[in-house]
Formats: sequence, C-alpha cells, structure tokens
Amino acid sequence: MSTSLEWGLLAPEFLLAGWAAFIILIDLFWGGLGKERLGWLAAIGVVAAGGLSLIWVNDAKQFGELADINDYTTLFRVLFTGIGATICILSARYVRDRLLNPGEYYALILLAIVGANGMAAAHELLTAYISLELLSFSLYALTAYAKFDLRSNEGGLKYMLLGAFSSAIFLYGIGLIYGTTGSTQYAVIGEVLSGDTSDIEWGMYLGLALMIGGLGFKVAAVPFHMYTPDAYEGAPIPITALISALAKAAGFAFFLKLFAVAFLPLIDDWRYFIAGLSVATMALGNLVAIQQRNVKRLLAYSSIGQVGYLLLGIAALSQDAASALVLHMIGYVVTNLAAFTCVILYYNWTGKEEIEEYKGLAERAPYVALCLTIALFSLAGMPLFAGFATKFILFQAAADQDLLWLAAVAAFFSFVSLYYYLILIREMYLGEPEEKTRFQTPWLEYTALTVLIAGVFLIGLYPKPVFNVVEDATATIFVSEELESGEDLVGVP
Amino acid sequence: MIPIDNFLVLSAILFSLGMYGVLVRRNAVLILMSVELMLQAVAINFVAFAVYLNPETFTGLIFGIFVIVIAAAEVGLALAIILRLFRNRQISNVDEADLMKW
Amino acid sequence: MTYEEAIFYVIAAVTVAGGLGVVIARNVIHSALFLIMALLGVAAVYVLLASEFLAIVQVLVYGGAVTILILFAMMLTRVRDTAGPMDGPQRPIAALAATIFLGTTVLAVTQTEWRGNTEEATVISIYEIGEVLFTTWAMPFEIASLVLMVSLIGAIVLARGEEGE
Repeated sequence: MSTSLEWGLLAPEFLLAGWAAFIILIDLFWGGLGKERLGWLAAIGVVAAGGLSLIWVNDAKQFGELADINDYTTLFRVLFTGIGATICILSARYVRDRLLNPGEYYALILLAIVGANGMAAAHELLTAYISLELLSFSLYALTAYAKFDLRSNEGGLKYMLLGAFSSAIFLYGIGLIYGTTGSTQYAVIGEVLSGDTSDIEWGMYLGLALMIGGLGFKVAAVPFHMYTPDAYEGAPIPITALISALAKAAGFAFFLKLFAVAFLPLIDDWRYFIAGLSVATMALGNLVAIQQRNVKRLLAYSSIGQVGYLLLGIAALSQDAASALVLHMIGYVVTNLAAFTCVILYYNWTGKEEIEEYKGLAERAPYVALCLTIALFSLAGMPLFAGFATKFILFQAAADQDLLWLAAVAAFFSFVSLYYYLILIREMYLGEPEEKTRFQTPWLEYTALTVLIAGVFLIGLYPKPVFNVVEDATATIFVSEELESGEDLVGVP
Repeated sequence: MIPIDNFLVLSAILFSLGMYGVLVRRNAVLILMSVELMLQAVAINFVAFAVYLNPETFTGLIFGIFVIVIAAAEVGLALAIILRLFRNRQISNVDEADLMKW
Repeated sequence: MTYEEAIFYVIAAVTVAGGLGVVIARNVIHSALFLIMALLGVAAVYVLLASEFLAIVQVLVYGGAVTILILFAMMLTRVRDTAGPMDGPQRPIAALAATIFLGTTVLAVTQTEWRGNTEEATVISIYEIGEVLFTTWAMPFEIASLVLMVSLIGAIVLARGEEGE
C-alpha cells in the first residue's frame, strides 16, 4: 500500500476543474452576468490557478509515482494558464456575438488547461496519456463548437477522427514499450533501455516508431499533419489560437520530457529520424503556406513550419538544446497569440479572414496593423524580435550536437517564411481599404496585445532572465534520470 | 497454457484490420468503428503484458481499463459531431465533407 | 494442442471474423453487427487472460452502451439504403499498408524475447485492482473522470437542438 497522496500538489488543477463547473452554473443561473463578463470571470479563475502553481517554485515534489511537481511543471503550468487566460479574454467578444452556450465553452477551455498541465507534470505514461486525451477531447469539442457553421463541423470531425486514429497508434507503441521494459515510468524505461537490449530490440524499436508516429500526429508534424489545416480553418478563431498555442506547447512539453528521460539512451537511433521529420515539416509547412489565401489557414501552415524548428530541438537533445527548445516554444506561443489577437480583433470588427480582405488595415487600425507586423516578423525570425533570439539559441544548441546542417536548413526556411508574411503585411499597408473609418479600440484586448508584444520584444532583446528560468526548469528533467540509476526500481509500477 | 505470443499476434491482426478500415472506409461512423477495433487490440496488448510479464505490478491491466474508458468517451463525442454534421448537411461520408480543400 | 489453446483459436477466429466484417461489409448495419461480434470476442479473450473483471466491463460498456450508440447513430444518419461505393479509391494502398504493418508487428512480437513469464497468466483479484486504482493510480482516475465530463458536455452541447431547429 503506497503512502498517502498529497492532493494539495494538484491544487491548481482542482481549482481549474472546479472553476469550470462554476462557470457552467453561473451561465445557467445568472444570465444577467452577460456573456462577455463570463469570459473575464473564466480568465480570473485561470489566472488564480496559475498564481497558485507558483507556490512550488524551486520545489521538487512528487505526486505518488505519477507526476512531478517541480520547476518544469511550474513553468508549464504558468505558461498554459497564461495561454488559457489570454484566450478566455480574447474570446469574450467573439463568443458573445457568434456562439451559443458560452458557459460550456469556457469550461472546456479550462479543462483543456488541466489536461495540458497533466501532460507536463506526468513522469509516467498512463497519466500523460490520459491528460493528453483530456486536452484533445476538449479541443475536438471546441473546434466543432460553432454548431451551425459547416466548416466548424467538418473541422471538428476531421480533427477528431485523425486524433482518434493517432491515439490508437500512439497507444500501441506505449503497449510495446511497456511490454519490453516492464514499466510505464519514464525513469524506469530509461534505465531498462540503457542496459542490454539485444533481446527486446524488435519490440522496442517498433514501439518507439509507433510512439513517434502518434506524437507526430498530435503536434502536426509532417507527414502526419493531414487534417490540421482543416481543423484550424474550421474552428472558431479563438480556438484556432488555442490549438496553435496550447496543443503544440503541451505536446512538446510531453515529447521533451519523455524523450529526455525515457528514450535518451536510444538517442543515436532516433536522432536522425526526428531530424528527417523536422526537415519535412519545415519544408511542407513553409512551402504550402505560400499558396494560402485564408489567414487562418496561413497561420495553420506557418505553425506547422514552426513545429519543424521545435523538432530540431528534440533531434539535438541535450540539456542546452532542451532549454533552447522551451525558450523557443515560449517565444512562439507569445508571438502566435499576438498574431491571433490581431486576427481576432479584425474578425470581430469585420467578419473577414481572407488575406486580401485585410487591405488597408494600417489606415483603419494602425496599432493593430503594427502589432501584427511585429508578430509576423518575429515568426519569421527577424532580429530584434523573439523569433530571432530564440532561433539563434536553438541553432547554436543544434550545432553543438553536430546538427549544423539542420540548423542551416531551418535558417533557409525561416527566410522563405518571410515571403508569405510579407504578403499579408503588404496588404495591410499598401492596400486601399473599402471604408476609411477608424475602428473602435477595445481596451482589454489592446492591453493584452500590448503585453504580448512587450513579451516579444523582451525575449528578443533581453532573453537572459527568461532563459535562466527555463534552464532551471529543464535541469530538473535531466537530473532525475541520474538520481534514479542508483536505486532499485524494478518493483515499482 | 497459452503462450503470450498468441495474444500479441491476435492483437496485431485486429490492429491491422482496424487500420485498413480507417484508411479505406468513407462513412464517418465506419471509420470510428475501425478505430474502436484498433483500441481493442491495444487493450489486449496491455492486459496480456500485465498478466504474463508483470503480475506483481499490473500496470497494463489498469491501462487497459483506462483505454476502455477513453474509447467509450471518444465514441460518444464523435457521434455527437457526426450527428451535428448530418443534421446540418445531410451527409455522412467523410469524402463529401469537402468544404475546405488544399 | 491443449484444451486452452484450442479454445483460444476458436475465440480468436470469431474475433478476427468480426473485425474482418467491420472493415469489409457492404451494408453499414452489418458492419455494426460484426463489431458486436468482435467486441464480445475480445471479452472472451479477456477471460482467457484471467481478467474476468475486464471481461465484464467490456461486455457492459462495449456490448451494452457503445454498440447501442453506434447503431442509433448509424440509423439516424442513413442517407439512402444503397449509398454508393462503400470504400474509397485507396483500397490497394491501404491493404498494402495494413499488410506491411501486420507483417512487421508479427515479426517484432515473435522475435522479441519478452522478459518475464511468457507461458502462464496470473490471476489478479478484483480486490487488488480496486486498491491500486484509487491509490497508486489516483491521478489518471481523476483526470479520466474529467475526460468523461468533457465528452458529456461536448456531446450535449453539439448534438442538442437549438430553438428554431
């Protein structure tokens, strides 16, 4: 019988789940609150959960044998709650005007955050998988949330079917790894795999391949990205933003921890495979983005390209590369959210989402156009902005691991991406708007946008403080592997 | 007694059949059923590994229970989406849901 | 061949036949019925794996709830009785992919020397399962309950009729 569990360690998740139920009840019983304020109320709960998770900064605890509550978890909890709060705030007007059932909408977002937290915290595959499914299910439901919009239905269906298929493949891989190593704990798997594996080679490699395949689907790496653009295009815009930020960040938090602890012994076997995936992803994402006419789809392919850079970090896995990867992910999340904020604002004002319909935005809302330009330049990796700094550090880490060629390919595709971002920027600044009236400035969204853009500049010009935080976080996952090797863990589930 | 390989091969066959079904079938509900088949295979794998190789700490058995839970939840949600799409548009073949192209 | 192995082959044949029916049958309702056959076959497999609890859960959840859901959904989304070709044009490629996968997996599974007892299944009592489910595996248990809640919320919000529909 194991020792009693410290449920207090999961307080942020409990708060989020409770708040989700609370929001549903408020929507049910107090209609006078107004749909917009419901979003703000949801955001308050999310921020509170994020604040709560700061209790464990510089702490290292475990929840049973399932999850760590350490700096890695805390970092990602703060990141995920930040994403969630931003999306709740950005959704407020959108939901008020275009969607039914707002209470459940926010509740699903909150539960998605719980799933994401679980993925980052888990150090054992069952917990990680169940959290992954919690995140995924919420996103499927949210993608299809615009019930009477056919694109939303279609996007949700395709996303769900593909997600279910990839879950099955991923699970089969987990099954084989469990069978060959006898455990689902990352640390134990790592230990077994660093020993003599000649008798379990077949099962081990097949299991690993299937897990990479399944994870590839989840983060939309090529060639597993098939329906992602449809899901992005069909989903309500705030949800597209949520998927592009939360699902990718959570997916990589999981991917990184799993590979750094459990599969590190096999790194020479999977490094080049993942490098290959990285190249394919960067290539396809960036090249197809050039042809896109719809802003959501453009950002979808752009984020597929970004996944390529993140895979670069996995291929070059070492402690430095891990820190670089997480830093790049934070930069990507902040920048992407900034870009989507502008897109959401424009959609709220005009209901338009084709690139050519953005013409003249610079005249009608100069601040928004400027922020969108900054965000796009950052995504392309221009100096001064987050994208440049984080990519530079990432490429450095890759070069240290003899993957300089991969970094060069990545730099090339960064350059390519500039082209399609410039198309949108050109529309905004050089196009003639249909009407010349200025748009109203909603203060809350503008504040959020300012905060995000400030983040882009902060990471771009002075990344050191954020980088230090990230380094502390990733150090925890590399240390734990060394700690376990001296103990006898064979009997532990 | 029955060697473990028998069960593992059975699960491989079911998984491959399910995979074939997902790739080939056009009706959304049929695709879902094929995924269910794949998840059955996965569960058999887990339980077999637990009961044969790791009976003291039978993680696989617990995993199998959770796979059943997730699969059932998946069916519920997927069918709701399919029903909604059907009501809006009277289609049930995935190929016909092609508003969004390349 | 021992008794147990003979029974295993019979049950495996039934299950595989059911699976085959799901992916090949021309009539969608037939596919659903073949799925029931496969699901119940898997329940029998669990009994052979000395996991009676799982077998009962399988029958209840799948044979009971899931098949009813699928049959209802199928009947509610029928367009016409003979609805064009059932399969897409990628049949040969899909068959090839599935066969390659099957071959690789069977090879992997038989070539691997599994570490542990590969001949005899141990019975695990429901008492042990219950004890472990609420202590060692408490976190997935809680999160799984949230998954079910999400599934419920999503299904109700998406499928229910709104005013004017």
